[in-house]
Amino acid sequence: MKRLTRFLTGPLGAVLLIVVLMSLAMVVAGVSPLDGFSALITGALGGRNEIGETLVATTALLFPALGICLAFRAGLFNIGAEGQLLIGALCAGALGAAFTIPGPLGIVLLLLAGALGGGFWGAIAGWMKARFDANEIIATLMLNFVAAYFALELVSGPLKGPLAAGAETAWLDPKYWLPTLLPGTRLSIALLLALALAIFLQWVLTRTVFGYDLRASGEAPEAARRSGINIARLTWLALTLSGAIAGLGGATIVLGELHRFNTQLSPGYGFTAIAVALVGDLQPLWICLAAFGFGILESGGLAMQASAQVPKDAIHVIEGLIIFVLAARRYVATRVEGGPV
Amino acid sequence: MIELLVTLALLTLIKSTPIIYAALGGVMSERSGVINIGLEGMMAAGAFTAVVVSFATHNPIAGALAGVAAGACFGYLLAFAATRFKVDQIVAGTGINLICAGGAAYGLVVLFNQPGASPQVASLGSGYWVLIVGAFAIAIALQWILYRTPWGLRIRATGENPSAVVSAGLNPLALRMNAVVISGALAGLGGAFLSIGELNLYSDGMTAGRGFIALAAVIFGRWNPLGATAACVVFGFFEALQYVLQGQVAWLPANALQALPYIAALVALAGVTGRVRAPAADGVPF
Amino acid sequence: MMVTREAALSLRGIRKEFPGVVAVDGVDLDLYPGEIHALVGENGAGKSTLSAIAFGELQPDAGEIVARGTVGLVHQHFELIGRLRVWQNVLLGREPRRGWKIDQAAARARVLEIAASNGLEIDPDAFVETLPIGVQQRVELLRELDRDPAVLLLDEPTAALAPAEIERFFTTIVALAARGTAIMIVTHKLQEVIAYADRVTVMRHGKIVARALTRETSIEAIARAMVGGEVPAVVERVETRLVPSLRVEGLQAGSGGTRLNGFALDVRGGEIVGIAGVEGNGQTTLADALAGMCTYTGTIERRGTLGIIPQDRHLEALVMNWSLIDNTLLGRQHRKAARRGFTLDFARAQRDAETIRERFDVRAATLNVTVRTLSGGNQQKLVVGRALIDDPDLVLAYNPTRGIDVGAAALVQSRLMEARNRGAGVLLISFELDEILALADRVIVMYRGAALGSFDRAHLDRAEIGRLMAGSL
Repeated sequence: MKRLTRFLTGPLGAVLLIVVLMSLAMVVAGVSPLDGFSALITGALGGRNEIGETLVATTALLFPALGICLAFRAGLFNIGAEGQLLIGALCAGALGAAFTIPGPLGIVLLLLAGALGGGFWGAIAGWMKARFDANEIIATLMLNFVAAYFALELVSGPLKGPLAAGAETAWLDPKYWLPTLLPGTRLSIALLLALALAIFLQWVLTRTVFGYDLRASGEAPEAARRSGINIARLTWLALTLSGAIAGLGGATIVLGELHRFNTQLSPGYGFTAIAVALVGDLQPLWICLAAFGFGILESGGLAMQASAQVPKDAIHVIEGLIIFVLAARRYVATRVEGGPV
Repeated sequence: MIELLVTLALLTLIKSTPIIYAALGGVMSERSGVINIGLEGMMAAGAFTAVVVSFATHNPIAGALAGVAAGACFGYLLAFAATRFKVDQIVAGTGINLICAGGAAYGLVVLFNQPGASPQVASLGSGYWVLIVGAFAIAIALQWILYRTPWGLRIRATGENPSAVVSAGLNPLALRMNAVVISGALAGLGGAFLSIGELNLYSDGMTAGRGFIALAAVIFGRWNPLGATAACVVFGFFEALQYVLQGQVAWLPANALQALPYIAALVALAGVTGRVRAPAADGVPF
Repeated sequence: MMVTREAALSLRGIRKEFPGVVAVDGVDLDLYPGEIHALVGENGAGKSTLSAIAFGELQPDAGEIVARGTVGLVHQHFELIGRLRVWQNVLLGREPRRGWKIDQAAARARVLEIAASNGLEIDPDAFVETLPIGVQQRVELLRELDRDPAVLLLDEPTAALAPAEIERFFTTIVALAARGTAIMIVTHKLQEVIAYADRVTVMRHGKIVARALTRETSIEAIARAMVGGEVPAVVERVETRLVPSLRVEGLQAGSGGTRLNGFALDVRGGEIVGIAGVEGNGQTTLADALAGMCTYTGTIERRGTLGIIPQDRHLEALVMNWSLIDNTLLGRQHRKAARRGFTLDFARAQRDAETIRERFDVRAATLNVTVRTLSGGNQQKLVVGRALIDDPDLVLAYNPTRGIDVGAAALVQSRLMEARNRGAGVLLISFELDEILALADRVIVMYRGAALGSFDRAHLDRAEIGRLMAGSL
């Protein structure tokens, strides 16, 4: 019985759950699961364009998921990835529209700007947690809203592109566009960057002193403190890096996918990424796989909505259920000192 | 000038009300030792269900009651997971938020064929004042219940040391279940106020983080119904300010004003450094 | 004093299993009214589990419990709510009411009443977390007594009491027994068993191995039955040359009742300095200050390296879900020897873990199993091994043998003695006076954050030490 529970609440169980629940959602929407799933799969993997879009979604999810994973391993719950991603994208988009630095150096600098922007956004919550023991869940979520309004204000006014119809920056100079990975699609080399980051993160977590300290502080905070780890500094660093990775992801959306910044660039990637991180069992390499799975859902979902009339919000409900079920695996070390965690 | 202040005061009451309900729910839950991160979702569930039932029955009161029931259901879900399966309460709460938000969006299409917002429904009209006064009345009642009655004592004991409660021959898990279901019901009522009290429809994302602002209020109010209510009034004030000041102050952009309540919550969180202690068993599965 | 031969509590064939270990294996036990029954056994024998089952807190996998009346249990680690008042703790679940609300006046009166009828003093309005440990135990006792139990179980009741308090405690208990309550005391303090109990039952590895009337047996006989043979001896003490190792002067740290106000101490390499004292007199503050875990003013001068054995291995020393190898690095991972640049030298960690396993007799299937699967004794041996493997000049050992079996305790004590023999200074803080008296070259008593009296090995006066521990000067 215990093994069954363990399986059902693990990554494979999650996949099973997704299939079952999606079928249910389809039936409720008046669509046969067979039609629904075929629309989903065809929409996600049916052709070169479709695969391209799926991998675009995969990349967009992978970055924040890796960031969230890092925070989780340190015992911190970062639900601010959406805002950090937005700020990172804003930095990349705004600076790209304002300055001209030729060649690959320009791209690197813009990506860096995105990471710094997202990192700064994460650092705010990190500092609040380290200095005031402020609950990082509430803090990062509040910052999501502040980021949204901040970005909206900037791109409706001072940063609005001269030819832009709505709230967005000007289109970036093609020199800044990330090279396409799959010709004819929107998929850029950002995917490779994300995969490389995952491998790097795995190495950091398992082989480095920093990774050791991070994991210790997440699993046994008091023992970690007594082993000489500076918990306050680590907390701050973990949330900053988490935000930086999400911000980097935002920058790649701007440079690789949209080629400009607008406030609608993320259909909730920062929240879906939580599910991705959990389904990936908080291990960077498995998260890559999970991101691909959710990428299929996201991009296939749009097609499913269009052709089979199943609202794509079903996917978000299912993501919520996945997260709920996976809560049984007790990921986050609860710390009770002054605030609820 | 006086007119402005009166408008501000009234608007503050209106804007605080949904947050107060959610925060009272947060207090009850955390006092029993369960962190209810899912308040946001329970509000959304309450808001959406209230609209659906009001649409079907043309009766806003039925809608409000349905909203309470919806919130209570999700409260039960969280309570069950927390007490029976000892899950990570924070992750579970996050899951509930996504389920409810997504579910409402899904429901908008499947039930009304209208993505984004529901059609207009029968609202409480000026009856919404009952809910506004009710929020404060319930706050006072809960304060009394928590600190003066046997049940309140047992709830507080459960949040501090569930083992001690067992030693006293009581069932801490049952106490937690009750508290969390109540917390969901309150959040649901707050959500119903948002959709059919203040307005007369449901729109995607209308809860706008209030469930989390409520949590900040709980901390700021030191896990105490009256304290949390006071904090909610402060946050409600900032939300009201935004309406009153809009267009009045040239250099303050509308977006900045809209961000005020969230910034206020951040400042509040930072302000209570080390001077507050959560219930000792808060968030710890038993 | 036996009133009737009908048992107040009967346990038959009780069995309880936890993953990997059978805690209680086919136990029969009878408790009679008016009798004080001692249940003894070393750590891990199953005594606490059996009490929990007798109380009803834990369900047995098999067996029968027949109780004639209410059963009360005073836990070893109190189940009290610090932030609530005494009367709230005592009357939780049985609150006197007036209409919908609690009748606070009646509650206070009731608490004073139960206390008086048992010869105890208490302030019903005090917040439990502000009370000294001895008084907190009184609160738990009152809570159980309010239920008018036919059977009262007490788990290690004198562990946190000073000698004078222990006498008072037993006066209360003997009076209770005289009034007909059946009393069972779970303890490892054999002198108390002989002095106060009518009957003794010995448990070992979950089974009952001996039963006797205390007037017909002796401490040695009971000890032999507990261990199942002779108690392993600790390594011999040798002559050492003393060198300065630790100097503490004017140490001020902590706050409240456990604050240190000008504490002074000297430890030299080659000696074991024992800090005797009842729990709650500032020992933790001292240990934290020495380990650099809290802020302090004053002087702490230390020569050489420091090895620490924390008092709570679960919370402070180990990451339970990690392997032995990973835990071997904990506390040492920042040293140059443990790293190669940014990465950790896992090969070396593995070698270290192997060394610890051998030298400290850590029984584990492999070095890769999680520490959670090890017994308490093996976990502690790992922690001690890790503290001593780098041959530190000073060892801070805080309750190093707490909650572990006699065999593991003897090994830990031997290794500490060996470290001392090799020239390390050892600061031993322990709540077990016997341990201090057995190991220390010098004994210092700690009371309310101050150092009272210093006794060297040649002039150990147990009675005097006991008096100082209780604060009488």
